[in-house]
Amino acid sequence: MSKVIRSVKNVTKGYSNTQVKVRNATSNDAWGPTGAEMSEIARMTFDTSQDFFEIMDMLDKRLNDKGKNWRHVLKALKVLDYCLHEGSEHVVVWAKDNIYIVKTLREFQYIDEEGRDQGLNIRVAARELTALLLDDERLRNERKDRKSWKNRVAGIEDH
Amino acid sequence: GTTRNVDMSRSESDLTINIKKATNAEETAPKRKHVRSCIVYTWDHKSSTSFWTGMKVQPIMADEVQTFKALITIHKVIQEGHINTLKEAQAHVGWIESLGRGMIGDGLRGYGPLIKEYIHFLRAKLQFHRHHPEFNGLFEYKEYISLKSVNDPNEGYETVSDLMTLQDQIDSFQKLVFAHFRHGVNNECRISSLVPLVQESYGIYRFVTNMLRAMHRTTGDDEALSPLRERYNGQHHRLVRFYYECSNLRYLTSLITIPDLPQDPPSLLSEDDAPALP
Repeated sequence: MSKVIRSVKNVTKGYSNTQVKVRNATSNDAWGPTGAEMSEIARMTFDTSQDFFEIMDMLDKRLNDKGKNWRHVLKALKVLDYCLHEGSEHVVVWAKDNIYIVKTLREFQYIDEEGRDQGLNIRVAARELTALLLDDERLRNERKDRKSWKNRVAGIEDH
Repeated sequence: GTTRNVDMSRSESDLTINIKKATNAEETAPKRKHVRSCIVYTWDHKSSTSFWTGMKVQPIMADEVQTFKALITIHKVIQEGHINTLKEAQAHVGWIESLGRGMIGDGLRGYGPLIKEYIHFLRAKLQFHRHHPEFNGLFEYKEYISLKSVNDPNEGYETVSDLMTLQDQIDSFQKLVFAHFRHGVNNECRISSLVPLVQESYGIYRFVTNMLRAMHRTTGDDEALSPLRERYNGQHHRLVRFYYECSNLRYLTSLITIPDLPQDPPSLLSEDDAPALP
């Protein structure tokens, strides 16, 4: 059902092809983002500057979404992490300039209707990403050698 | 540029709503999402002017819970907001002090002493930052500051001393918070004031550890530094106890990582690495 609504929204809100890709990868579905989705988005950060800004704007929106949409936030962190490794250098600059967006997610809170703490994964992911963004040398090395970070940004299997 | 694409016209009215919700009269923690929005606002605008304006129009003095939540919110925004927030806060010290004047005695729900102590602490913190503008609100480690102070041992001595005074103030405040827990009720609102205190005390601890090690290394004057070592050891033991007590509060441990300090203070004379970040 959510999939149908999303594709209707994609049309009525006039989202571009690039924006739709990011929206799908960071949706409320209980799976994903897949490795294929992330690698395609990362590759698109090298395209035109319009593509780049559309990707970052959409990730930014997702990162600042409300608690109920915690999957948006968690997936956006995963996609950002992936793009920091495989995407263009502009992603690194953008993320460093706007590090407070990620940093302030380290205390993200959301308890769902069944009393489950859905914020935990976000807090952990935000802590890891903040540490990475503050460590230039580590980020540079990980951008050169993808083996060292691959398990961290592997696709989310199930929520 | 690579700055975020922010709708500046909307963000001002959103900020007012966020401040209002963060400081409402419900006896809970100030909601993180609203506090976060205030913090993000100061970064997007590189200014906290609207935050203070928005705070001052809220009826926070009418209710002790609202006053206490406002103080927690202010503390968090000062800690995590854009560095200009810390500078701009200096102009509002008088207003922060005025928040305690309406309180008579303990208050119906017992927040009176906590409000007074929070105000006292924030005044001390802002005073520290006025004298030491090189520190950010959370005392996050920056190598150059310890190097700078090491070059001038007198300045270093004074800075460490001032940091330790602030650490003592955090310690008295946290003790008061624990002493004011109430049986049979959810203490979330009180406990949430411990979050910024844990973070700040650990930032100070790391800083002081690094600076004292560097000063021992470069001056080689162990005797002159012995008063600071003694004070450091005392503070270490108090921090261990503080973090131990925090580790029993589920609300706290689910939210932040409580630092795991060794029982005994680390040697300041050795070349051991500083304690790792939690």
